[in-house]
Amino acid sequence: MIVSELLLPVFVVLATLAVGAYLVGVIDGAIGAALGAPRGQSAWLAPLTQGAWLLTQQANTTEAPDWRAWRLAPALYLALAATGLAVVPWSPTLIPTDLTTSVVLWGSVEALATVVIFLHGWSANTLLALIGAYRYVALGLSYILISMFVLIGVALPAESLQFSQVVASQAEMWNVIRQPLGLPLFLIVGLGMTFWGPFNLADSRDLAGGTASAVSGPPRLVWNLARAAMLVAFSGVAASAFLGGWLGPWLPGPLWMVIKMLVVLAVLLLIGRLVPRVQPERCVTLMWVVLLPLSFIDLIWAGMEALL
Amino acid sequence: MAVSWLSRLAARARVPVFPALGMHGDTILHRLALTPGIELVDSPRHASILLVAGGVPPDLHEALRRLHDQLPAPFATLWYRSAPLSELAGDLRVDDPEALPEALKRLHRELMSGRRDSSPRLLPDEPPNPWEGLGDDGHGGEGMMGGVPYGRPMAMNMHDDIRDGLTLDSLTVTLGPFLPVLPPGLGAKVTLQGDLVQSWVTQLAPYPIALENVFHEALQRPVPIAELELARARHHLQRLAFSLRLSGLEHLALVALRLSRGLNVESRVGRLHRWLTRCGFFRLTAAGRGRLEAGQARRVGGIAARAAGLEEDLRSRDAAYRRLGFTPIVQRGGDTNARWRQTLAEIDHSLQLACRAEQEDLYSEMTEAVETPRGPWDDYRPEDASDILEDLLPGLEWDEALTTIASLDLAGVSEWPLEPLSETSLKDDEERQA
Amino acid sequence: MELLTLLIVLLVALGAGLGVQWLAMCHQTMPTYPQRAPFLGGGLPETHAWNRYHVRYYPMTLLLIAFEMEMMFMYPWAVVYVEQGMKAVMEMGMFLAILSVGIVYGWREGVFKWQ
Repeated sequence: MIVSELLLPVFVVLATLAVGAYLVGVIDGAIGAALGAPRGQSAWLAPLTQGAWLLTQQANTTEAPDWRAWRLAPALYLALAATGLAVVPWSPTLIPTDLTTSVVLWGSVEALATVVIFLHGWSANTLLALIGAYRYVALGLSYILISMFVLIGVALPAESLQFSQVVASQAEMWNVIRQPLGLPLFLIVGLGMTFWGPFNLADSRDLAGGTASAVSGPPRLVWNLARAAMLVAFSGVAASAFLGGWLGPWLPGPLWMVIKMLVVLAVLLLIGRLVPRVQPERCVTLMWVVLLPLSFIDLIWAGMEALL
Repeated sequence: MAVSWLSRLAARARVPVFPALGMHGDTILHRLALTPGIELVDSPRHASILLVAGGVPPDLHEALRRLHDQLPAPFATLWYRSAPLSELAGDLRVDDPEALPEALKRLHRELMSGRRDSSPRLLPDEPPNPWEGLGDDGHGGEGMMGGVPYGRPMAMNMHDDIRDGLTLDSLTVTLGPFLPVLPPGLGAKVTLQGDLVQSWVTQLAPYPIALENVFHEALQRPVPIAELELARARHHLQRLAFSLRLSGLEHLALVALRLSRGLNVESRVGRLHRWLTRCGFFRLTAAGRGRLEAGQARRVGGIAARAAGLEEDLRSRDAAYRRLGFTPIVQRGGDTNARWRQTLAEIDHSLQLACRAEQEDLYSEMTEAVETPRGPWDDYRPEDASDILEDLLPGLEWDEALTTIASLDLAGVSEWPLEPLSETSLKDDEERQA
Repeated sequence: MELLTLLIVLLVALGAGLGVQWLAMCHQTMPTYPQRAPFLGGGLPETHAWNRYHVRYYPMTLLLIAFEMEMMFMYPWAVVYVEQGMKAVMEMGMFLAILSVGIVYGWREGVFKWQ
């Protein structure tokens, strides 16, 4: 009882996060090499060596950081990723935490991510990190609505806010086909909440690393790890909400989940490398004026489809 | 045991190098960007090696010391064609570009294995202002805003806001001369309110850029037009690569660099241009900001002038160019977007000119003046124009300001030509590693 | 039980994140003052970075509040949507239509621009 309801779920979530975050590094490196980055060591080894180097590096400090917030932010971001992944169902029976309001919980993870990323940049008390933090809030407040409308869209046919019900409701047809606007919009949200590629407004190159510009060593390792873990958690949610989760012929459910999550990750990482960073002002306008109305249309479409 | 295993793994990591550029140091970066096993990082906190490339003028030594001390231990400094600071006289110095990547990797391995100690701190361990035990609570602060809590004063409201008039605090900082997102050597005193540049005072002009020898020769005697145009295209491709890297398009930056390395009359930039259009570079990143007035554009000259609609190009005065049917390309707009469109169009134009000039074996005929990639060089070399930033940048958001700077070629031209890199092609570099 | 599992997952991840940082920090000396100075490419700041920061997108945040309120109603609405049928469509449709007018008005007034 304890084993199956407590230890197994905790193990599944943490193991997925660790392996997933490593695979994010591997896939990103492989995509980089395929796009023409100079080939050095194998992509399999690169995340490990980078992590080992960060562990041996001294942790940097600024003149008067807000210590508690500064050290807490990377750990909290990691914890948010773990919480988000905990509500993702792997099969009809293997669900780490099958809350009846898991969609709402994921929504709160998205909202809190903004707070944590802001905190990471703000607490360092350096200019470039501070700009990155405030800039990220503009993005965070813009993507959150799109995400909510899109997720409500998948909750309508399921008549439930539970991810396991959302997956079950896709038995006849996956949401990616039923609500064609949903997944593309949701992927944009994913890039936003991990500030990856075009939406890397927080840790961008023009800010010399932004919120991470003043951190080094183990805190930076945790921060990078948390960012990759958040991508993994996001891909789990995207696979459940739009790609039919565990549903699929021949293979067992959890395996289907793994395959679908890897596909989502690969698409996200590819977009991250192919599209340039969007200017902050342009980004906010794009989110509110183009993507938000599109998410309205997605919701109306989903609603009509659910009633037919 | 576990520690030695960890450091062995760490020794195999891609070497994180933070470049501090001295005079003419940027050429080696183009090479390092394409070298496997080396990673050029944005912040000294993310580096294990500080690479000082090129001679650093003595007045920047203090800034270099500050930068040196900002790397977290363990770190080392490597001097490439640069004299080490007096305190670091024993440091490794490398002058051969061929040997540099291997030297960087060896240095990193030695640091990780403990065979080399971390570089010493150069500056005394003192706060910017004494604060401990001072003030109301002993943390250096006094009253609401006074004192120097933790060694520095708090931000105070100094200027009215230039956009919405809502006056909040402004931050004044000195940036550079080693900030990798600015042209090498550029230093400025900048006041920001929020992320908006409120004022910009250029304090240190960027280092003069070295042009390829062919531009210097063109002032002495006729030179093959093909060579002149290829050198021009190379210069612009390298500038483009810098800007693409800044906007997060690492792979396209490498495409541009590779193109510039192996540039010949057969090369074309059509594909690069198409990729840039498709990925939204012109719409999402290089959106129309940083518009130059006609006077400013004339001062900067070259691409910036032609992107602002001024039909100024010394090549149209050369009889040989006229025989090739040369007419200058111009854009309207004069903003970041127009400058990059102009740059790509001119690279393409240069390659076509080079192709035809080689077939007809044409030499330039005008020797009293030459159009350099940086602008016209007639009686005087193109001069530094970085003070136009003081009028151009206020009112721009940080990201817009930096994309604007990246789109402008403002540094003066050095009196010394670029030292040609050795003939070993890049391909060999990459094959040797593989 | 579900909430307990969730709490454990959260605490373990948080503990791991803090632990990795703490382990490495506990046997290292405090960096020197010059190392701790903010990185500005060799330059220095005049003041601390903390200030009354001019957040230039504040009208957008106000617009967001209008929508966030709506989200609260939307969660229960989503559950009973199919049951209620067209009635639910009309209700939410009106709500969204009013808010859309708000976005268009805000756009015209330039609230998505940096002020």
